[in-house]
Amino acid sequence: MRANASCKPVSWEQSRNRSFMLGLLPALAVLLVITLAPAVALFVTSLTPLSLVNPATSFNFSDPLVNFRQLMQDERFLGSAITQCKLSLLTVAMQLTAGTGLALLLNGKSSVLQYARSVFLIPMLIPPVVVALIWKIIYSPDISPMHRLLEFSGLTLEALTTNPHTALWAIAVADTWQWFPFTLLMILASLHMLPADPVEAARMDGASRLQVLRYIVLPHIRPVLVVCGLFRLIDSFKAFPLIYILTDGGPGNVTEVSNYYGFTQAFNFSYWGYGSAIAVLILAGVFILSLIVTQFPRNSHDPIKNT
Amino acid sequence: MTQSKTLEQYRPVLAAHSFACSALRYWARGLTGFVQVLRRHARAITALLVMLVIMLPVIWTIHLAFKPALEIFDTTLGFVPTLENFQSLLADGSFLTALGNSVVVSVLSTAFSMLLGVPAAYVLTRWKFKARKQIALWILVTRMAPPIAFTIPFFLAFRWLGLQDTLAGLTLIYMTFNLAIVIWLMQSFFASVPASLEEAAWLDGCGVWSGFWRITLPLAAPGLASTAILCFIFAWSDFFYALVLTRTQAVTATVAIVNFLQYEGWEWGKISAAGTLVMLPVLLFMVIIRRYLVHGLTAGGIKD
Repeated sequence: MRANASCKPVSWEQSRNRSFMLGLLPALAVLLVITLAPAVALFVTSLTPLSLVNPATSFNFSDPLVNFRQLMQDERFLGSAITQCKLSLLTVAMQLTAGTGLALLLNGKSSVLQYARSVFLIPMLIPPVVVALIWKIIYSPDISPMHRLLEFSGLTLEALTTNPHTALWAIAVADTWQWFPFTLLMILASLHMLPADPVEAARMDGASRLQVLRYIVLPHIRPVLVVCGLFRLIDSFKAFPLIYILTDGGPGNVTEVSNYYGFTQAFNFSYWGYGSAIAVLILAGVFILSLIVTQFPRNSHDPIKNT
Repeated sequence: MTQSKTLEQYRPVLAAHSFACSALRYWARGLTGFVQVLRRHARAITALLVMLVIMLPVIWTIHLAFKPALEIFDTTLGFVPTLENFQSLLADGSFLTALGNSVVVSVLSTAFSMLLGVPAAYVLTRWKFKARKQIALWILVTRMAPPIAFTIPFFLAFRWLGLQDTLAGLTLIYMTFNLAIVIWLMQSFFASVPASLEEAAWLDGCGVWSGFWRITLPLAAPGLASTAILCFIFAWSDFFYALVLTRTQAVTATVAIVNFLQYEGWEWGKISAAGTLVMLPVLLFMVIIRRYLVHGLTAGGIKD
């Protein structure tokens, strides 16, 4: 590359760069219009008390931080933030456990395991609304196989999604079911990269399977596990269809996460300024987590790069 | 004589005994063999059992779709599969229209995202310029951003532009995530095409883009196809944007399902049929791009 560039006249380099520009700019321009402009608009809206019922609120910047101040005193918002934390930590922990466990189980060469690996991807690929529909069926006592099985064995269980003590767990289980394949995929890829020598050496020295797992396999997959957790943490802020369809934020507010609260404020009550302020806070959280993800050293154990 | 007679007498018994013994032996061998098979394939068998449990919700939903409407609350498992749920679902035409809308919007947003994103991804892999890192972060944040952050400004802008409840508006907003995905994914596919091939073409007087068109693109064809399919799946699966930005005209299949759930009460057979139809294309595509799926689904987990 360097050699070529040096024997060619400079004008070639320039014309090549111009061609490159031509390919890059349209995409960046569109991306600018459809992502950066809305982000700026969102931020501007969050500084006004905009509500479509009252046109005077449109460009009223007299008190730009009013929404954010109000949010800090809004018990329902603070509650939704706590619910969000609970749900995120719960689902990420469950996904990482289930995904890693299954990856260890499926990490083999037989064709059955390979076939199983692709089947296990299905939950993640099914459209989220259909996932929510499937779990609506599972949680509806009159039609659910789970409730039928329990009834058959003499137990009765009331609907999990209408019980304030179990509703959040019900959502978490459905969410885990939907997203464990992501961890499964990443950990499987990482396990493929596991060098065979240390494992063999340890086995020869009499290490048990459990010891190999604890001292060789887990340290190997740990970086991937952390990145995976961060990714899922970011995505967990977006959980919407499951909550919308299974519980609608209820019973009471026990499953109302910040994202959902922002949605109701903006689209049900038309408090656009207030809803935007909530969205800005979520976006800021996502941005910080994305920054952490990009800073993370992933080169040595990059699951995909080396395959 | 007597002895032989007694022996003769006992012969059937002895035969029966030896038969029983060998049968027992065979059975025992069979049992240990069975245990051996179990042990050798323990991993596969466990995997299959776990798979069955995890897939049960999906299987149950599909089974409801084929169950006669009258028997849907029956506790028995046996039934004669029927298509009546699908027939009544498609009879009034509104769900069919919604499916059509989904197809149109998914195809259009995929096509535009590929058209803009593929050249951009190529440039980002081959041209090492300063702002590259910032652009990568921007694209990552775009992929990660919660939909609500985009929906509020888009909703307000679409009211003003008259794009609310139109397929064009929906196509545009789907590009917020699909364009980012194309740029992100195609970068890694282009990176695996050796740059020396293009450089040889350039030396022979080929322009940057004709070299790209004739050499790089054909080599990245599998990646191109699977990226397009993933874009289609993501657009097809969207619910939040369609829920907020459509009312009646541009309703997509995912929103139509939720409308069924809310307004048609508990017609589980019909609802399951709708769910089955919406997940069908995704499952079909999954079989087609099985090999590249892993790559696409972990997008973002990949460092460029």
